[in-house]
Order: sequence, then C-alpha cells, then structure tokens
Amino acid sequence: MALAAVHGLSFAYPGGHEALRDVSLELDPGEVVALLGPSGGGKSTLLRALAGLVPHFHGGRFSGSVELAGMDTRRVRPADLAGTVATLFQDPEDQVVFTRVRAEVAFGLENLGTLPAQILPRAVDALASVGAAHLAERPVAELSGGELQRVCLASVLALEPQLLLLDEPTSQLDPEGATTAIELARESGAAVVVSEQRPERVLEACDRVVFVEDGCIREGEPPAAWLPREAVLPAAEPAGTQVCRLDAVSFAYDALPVVERASMQLGRGEIVALVGPNGSGKTTLAKLAAGLLEPQAGTVEREGRACYLSQDPGRYLVKERADEEVALAVGGDLERARAALAQVGLAGFEDRHPRDLSSGERERLALAAVVVAEPDLLILDEPTRGVDPPRKDELAALLRAHAPGRATLVVTNDHVFAAEVADRVVSTAAVRERVVA
Amino acid sequence: MSPAPAALLLAALAAAALLADRIVSVAAIVLVLLVVCLRAPVGRRRLYLVGALGSGLAVFLLTPFVSNIGWHVIWSGPSVPVLGQLDVTREELRIGLFQGLRLTAVALAFAVYALLLDHDRLVQSVRFARRSVLAMALATRLVPTLERDAAGLVEALRGRGVEVTGTRGRARLLAPLLAGSLERALNLAEAMESRGYGRPGATRTPRPGWSTLDRAALALGAFAVAIGALWL
Repeated sequence: MALAAVHGLSFAYPGGHEALRDVSLELDPGEVVALLGPSGGGKSTLLRALAGLVPHFHGGRFSGSVELAGMDTRRVRPADLAGTVATLFQDPEDQVVFTRVRAEVAFGLENLGTLPAQILPRAVDALASVGAAHLAERPVAELSGGELQRVCLASVLALEPQLLLLDEPTSQLDPEGATTAIELARESGAAVVVSEQRPERVLEACDRVVFVEDGCIREGEPPAAWLPREAVLPAAEPAGTQVCRLDAVSFAYDALPVVERASMQLGRGEIVALVGPNGSGKTTLAKLAAGLLEPQAGTVEREGRACYLSQDPGRYLVKERADEEVALAVGGDLERARAALAQVGLAGFEDRHPRDLSSGERERLALAAVVVAEPDLLILDEPTRGVDPPRKDELAALLRAHAPGRATLVVTNDHVFAAEVADRVVSTAAVRERVVA
Repeated sequence: MSPAPAALLLAALAAAALLADRIVSVAAIVLVLLVVCLRAPVGRRRLYLVGALGSGLAVFLLTPFVSNIGWHVIWSGPSVPVLGQLDVTREELRIGLFQGLRLTAVALAFAVYALLLDHDRLVQSVRFARRSVLAMALATRLVPTLERDAAGLVEALRGRGVEVTGTRGRARLLAPLLAGSLERALNLAEAMESRGYGRPGATRTPRPGWSTLDRAALALGAFAVAIGALWL
C-alpha cells in the first residue's frame, strides 16, 4: 500500500495563478524520489501539499486529494501530520525558532510528545549524524549558511518521520556535505521526496525522478539540461591585468578568526571560482575583495568599481518595482535597468513587486541589480542557489560574454557551474597555502 | 542563575521603579540595571542603551513643555498655538526627571532580559503559558534580527555602490525591513506548524532544578516590589 497518494490535485494560491494542475503521484514506503523542474514550476507547492500545509496554512483553491498514511490532509491539521511527515524548507534562516542549536533540534521532539528523557539524546544523535555535533551549544545566529542547513536537516531527521520532504536541502552545502545529507535521508528509512536544482547531487541516490513543470508532472526522461554533468575544475595561472590583489589578509569576527593570511589575485578578463568547505571563509574573503570588509592584517589593492552579489537574494528587495530596484546601482537609470533585467531573463517583470517573485526569480533580480553597474570587479556569492540548470547555463553564458571587460570572482559550492564558467578555480585552502609556501 | 528567576527579578525591579515615589530610589535602580546591562557585548548593547537612555532623556526634555505644573518658574518662553504659554518650572523638571528615570528603568530591565538571558532555557523552564513565553521570546529576537537584516540591506546596497547615509537614508530601509519581518514571520509560522507546534500532548526537555541562587533571586524580587511599594 502506498504511503502517500496524490489524486488529481489542482491548487491555486489566493489571488494567484494555478500552481498545480491535475497532479497524481504515489509514494511507497522507503523510496527516494527526486523532484526536478524549473524554478516556479510547482515543486515547492507539491511538497507543501504532501505536508498538508497546502491548503491549511496558505488557503487558496484546492481540488483533488492527498492521503498520507491513510489520513486525508484536508481533514488533518499539518501539526497533527508532523511526525508522520517532516519538511525541510528552502530557506534555513526562516525556519529557526530557538537561539541555540540543541534547543532548536529538540523543539520538534517536544511538540510530538517524545518522552522527556529521550529528547536530548535524540537531538544530539541527529546533530551527530549530520556532522554537526560540535555545534550543539552554539548560538544559531553565529552559524554559516551551510552549518545552519545541517542543523535544520538534523531537526527533521530527529523526528524519524515516515515521509521526509526536502526542499533544496543542499543549496548551501559543500559537495561533501550535500552527499552526506542525501545519504542520511536515504538511510533514515523514510520515503524521501527531494526537490533539487543540482541533479547530480540526487540522481544517483534516488529510485525515480518526477519532473514538475508549469504545475504538471511530465512523464519520461527529464530534459537534457537536467541530466548530471561531470565537473572538471580548470586549473590555470592568473591572467590579465591585475584588478584586485589580496596579500596575506586576515579577518576575524569578534575573537573567531575566519581568514588568516590569505592571498589571491584577480585579473581583467578572467573568471575565478572560489570553492571550499562550509565555514572556510569564502564569503569573508569575497567581502574583503569587494571592500565591504577591511582586513585586520595584510593589504587589498583594487582598481575601478567593485560590485558584490550577496548570497541572500532577500537583500535586493528595497524598492517596490523590479526595474527601480535594479536602477539603484546606476543612479536611477531605468533604461539600463530594463536591459539588465532582460539579460537575466526577467523581461516583462519590470513593474512587478520584487517580493512577488519566486526564489529563483529573486536570485536573478539580485544578479541584474549588480551586473547593471558594469563593474571592473564583479563578485558573486553563491549565485546559483535556487537557480535551475537551464538558467545556470544562461548565467554562465552571460558571465562569459561580459568577462573580457572585467575581473569576475564566483564564490560557489556548485562545482558543475564552476567547471562551466570559470577559467580557474581556487580553493580557500590554496589561498592560504600560497602564503605559507 | 537560571533564566526564569532572573526574568522575575528583572520584572520585580521594573515594578519597584514604577511603584517608588522618590527620584533617588528610581535612579539607584537605573544605575544597578545599567551596570548589569554593560556586561553585554558592546556591539549588541549599543542599540538597547541608545533606546533606553534616549527615550528617558526625551521624556525629561519634553515634559516641561507639555505640562503645566508648579509655580517656581525657571524660564518663561513665548506662547504657541495648542501648547499655550511655554515655561519651565522646577516642579515640571522634577516630574520630567522622575518619569524619564522610570521609563529608563523599565527599558533597561527589558534590555538586560533581551541581551543577557538565555531565552531557550526560559521557554523550556516555564510550567505554564508556554505559548505566550515562546511568543515573547520570538518577539524579543525581533530586535537583533531587524538589526542584522538592516546591516544586510546596507551591505547589499554598498555592494552595488550605493551608500546609505543620514537619517533619511536609513528611514528608507524601514519599509523593506518591515515587509521582510512579516514575510519571515509567515515562513516561521509555517515551519513551526510543520514541526508539530500547537498539537496537544507536548513534552519538555528535562531541566535542572532551581539552585540556592535562583531562590535567593526570587526572594530578592519579592522584597524589591514590597519595599518599592512601601518605602522607596
């Protein structure tokens, strides 16, 4: 008997378009299903329907049915489905309730009525299983994005659900962490539905693939862009006239050293990918290069204008129209802003409110907001988070087309993207070793 | 000290400041709370101190101009519409100082609660009204979260070459900050519900019992309220 059964499900958010159309799907106990498809295609809505959050939490027009372990989600509240189903949401920053890691992982267990004596051991075990036992006493606010994603994963694994719903669970994890996360989900024994924009991370581990596009499930093989690609990271020497040079720079947040004696050079015309494990100082190094942080030791030389794209697209939602948001960097020049929007595939979105955009669209809006300035040094921090493979190809093409006029630094854990776009790849370990050598 | 007795002691000090009717008594409470508040890291305490001391100062400065009390006139100004004759009396200054100190004491008690207490343990230790305490803990977290969001927005703007300067520039960030908070609140509520929040039969992580210090803090809190009402 199927653990979950979706029959003829159609759903539209209040005042919105139809996000799901006549979707039918069955999930067996223990099977792992990869949910692929373009941004805004309905993957997250389908996950919410399986968790009962659609329609209970969001409202809207709902037809068809979703049954989970014999329970009709229209008749059972999402809180009462918790324990049977557990959901890891896309944005780890928005799902944290407590200020310290251990209490955060224990929260779900407390709600489910777990025996008090078992709460802490299960929370600690879950943290250990995702390689985050050392974070148990840390304040959540001090964690990097990848560390926080591990903690959120531990929070749902601790519940030992029958169905595990993971919405882009590896978007901020380094490759090793991503592999571990998917393996852990599989080994938990639960049926797993994992929505991913990096198919190579999930296709090997899954039993089958469901491709969701325009709110419908497409039968057959996913399109070619969604098939796994091999990542061969290019190794080359620095080239081009120097635009930015970091020489033995160090930086610490309060007493916590993050970057120590790191050196790096960026030349005009080259695209450099900076890779490294979570918490190894990639973002700090990028901010030092962009001039957003001042080094506490060492020097940074920079020529011309630098622009920095934050890894949080929620920071590019200041204005009330997309074109005005983009125009901020060019003194309000709406013509240039509209051209930049078109470059990132957002033509026709000019008058939309930035907060009405999907996560993938917000990512592209943020990209337009920095490339519009045509800087001499462009720094992109995790620009492919939440971006689907065809859009990644477009982004790579866009960066390559404009590469000759500037130096580009891409901070990423997406090795496929790094291999596709970069002239050379440097790791956070290597930038330190060069100084030591 | 455990967070629950510490929170009760802070509430008692705030209550004592409201019950006391001598300036020197309220000033002493302010001083004690200020010293405790200064134990918080500099970066985190700045906003709270500016808020607490600034609002107290504002009450002190504005009271003489909006009240009409006393007969020992120190300064006499022009007559303005609505407010009438502007003058400052010794009695108005005294009342302004007293009310300003009271407000500062309450604000500092909140600052100490927000900056120095472990809210996770506080939520886990309460035996009743856990939902209300959790809501209060989440609301308390709003201040540092907003501060972090504001810093993120400013950084993203600087990353585009846009400098945010002056009061007007910062005021423009208020609307996106508010919208971001509402969006985050919705996402958080959804995540909490999906993790079973609100279903009956919830249990709690075992907590250690109260120490002698905790009991002493509770007794001190009760004592502070009593002497605030009777002698201060």
